Amino acid sequence: MDLATNDEQMVKRALSGDPEAFGEIVRRWERRIFALAFGMLGREEDARDATQETFLAAFRNLRGFRGDAKVSSWLHRIAVNQCITRQRRAKVRGETGLEDEAEKNAAVFALPLDASPARTAEKIERSVAVRRAVGSLPPDLRQVIVMKEFEELTFQQISEALELPLSTVKSRLYTALRQLQMRLQKFGE
Amino acid sequence: MPNMPNVNGRPICHRAEDLVTYLYGEASETDAKDFAVHLQQCDACRGEFSVFQQVHDSILVWRNEALGSAFNPAVLPSESTVELTQFVRRDRKLTALAALREFFNVAPLWLRAATAFAVLLLGGLCGLALLTISRSWNRPVQLAVGESSKVADPNKEPKYTQQDVDKAVQKRVEEIARLNSQVALPKGNETSAIKELTVNRSRNQLAHNSVQPKTPRSRGLSRREREQLAKDLRLIPRDEDELPFVLSYEPNQ
Repeated sequence: MDLATNDEQMVKRALSGDPEAFGEIVRRWERRIFALAFGMLGREEDARDATQETFLAAFRNLRGFRGDAKVSSWLHRIAVNQCITRQRRAKVRGETGLEDEAEKNAAVFALPLDASPARTAEKIERSVAVRRAVGSLPPDLRQVIVMKEFEELTFQQISEALELPLSTVKSRLYTALRQLQMRLQKFGE
Repeated sequence: MPNMPNVNGRPICHRAEDLVTYLYGEASETDAKDFAVHLQQCDACRGEFSVFQQVHDSILVWRNEALGSAFNPAVLPSESTVELTQFVRRDRKLTALAALREFFNVAPLWLRAATAFAVLLLGGLCGLALLTISRSWNRPVQLAVGESSKVADPNKEPKYTQQDVDKAVQKRVEEIARLNSQVALPKGNETSAIKELTVNRSRNQLAHNSVQPKTPRSRGLSRREREQLAKDLRLIPRDEDELPFVLSYEPNQ
């Protein structure tokens, strides 16, 4: 059975009062939504929170779900909105300084023990620069690059999920890559 | 390539969309071959392809470091091996004490200090409120007596026993009896009797004041009142019969 068809059926079952149906939707999409949230927000804790909020919002608005859109598009839109809201709040709170330190520490533990200090430092710096570069992209460019790189969706899937023309998705991805390259140069100096 | 626009000091080719399609391996076989040929001829596309490849690799490194290289968002987890909603943050149930401890561990120093100060302030205010309430419970009834209102303090008020009261009553009865006995004094002793009466009254008044709250000071007796008082006390005879001697206006009698 097709996954998309299954999603629609699951939503119908959830609406008819099946308690397991929505759990199945969560099980199917949580990895992708988490990957999207991680790419958008850059921190695991924030990504978990955003994933949870996404599914909570989806559950609350289940009755408002229109059958003409795909469940994946619907979930992606909710997730992107959650991430943008969280980032806006974080910007208001001024949460920037400590994030880099936390990210560096996390990257140190993620590296193999036999890596040389110079190589380790270089990789850490690079990771932090990439995260900052992705984080500084405008939301419309960021969501495309994250869906491509983190969710590993095809251009066609991104086009369907965001309800955008295929050429627009490719154009946005190209622009995002160019801007990332410029930002990486800037942050790497 | 001719007709190549220049953006940010770098030439770009009109085949930007083909470039990203080729980069992510989504071009069809024919399109991929075509673009590969183009890539060898176009400096702009070759340069961008190289740069974009580096950016893509950097993002992959970051992603693998953060999520683990085994992370594959497309793979559905099997129910037997992966716990349901493993990527959803679960709310931990903490006891109040544990939550407080965690708050103090996470909170910055100024926030901890402010919280401690607020708690101390709250405790002090509660103590003060309790003290005020307990005082108001123990406060004696305010007595408005005389010109000035004074608070009768039960701790400072002298306490009288039944014996003391009996004694005072007995003394007072004796004084009255003595005064009655002095009524028959000769006229020459009137002044001294009145004086004694006044002194006794003053004493009685003092004794009375020591027992009871102060009363407003009474004004002095007028002459007429004094005479009336003397009559009442039989210091001045009412009838001629009672006079010790007869007063006559007639000099010849």
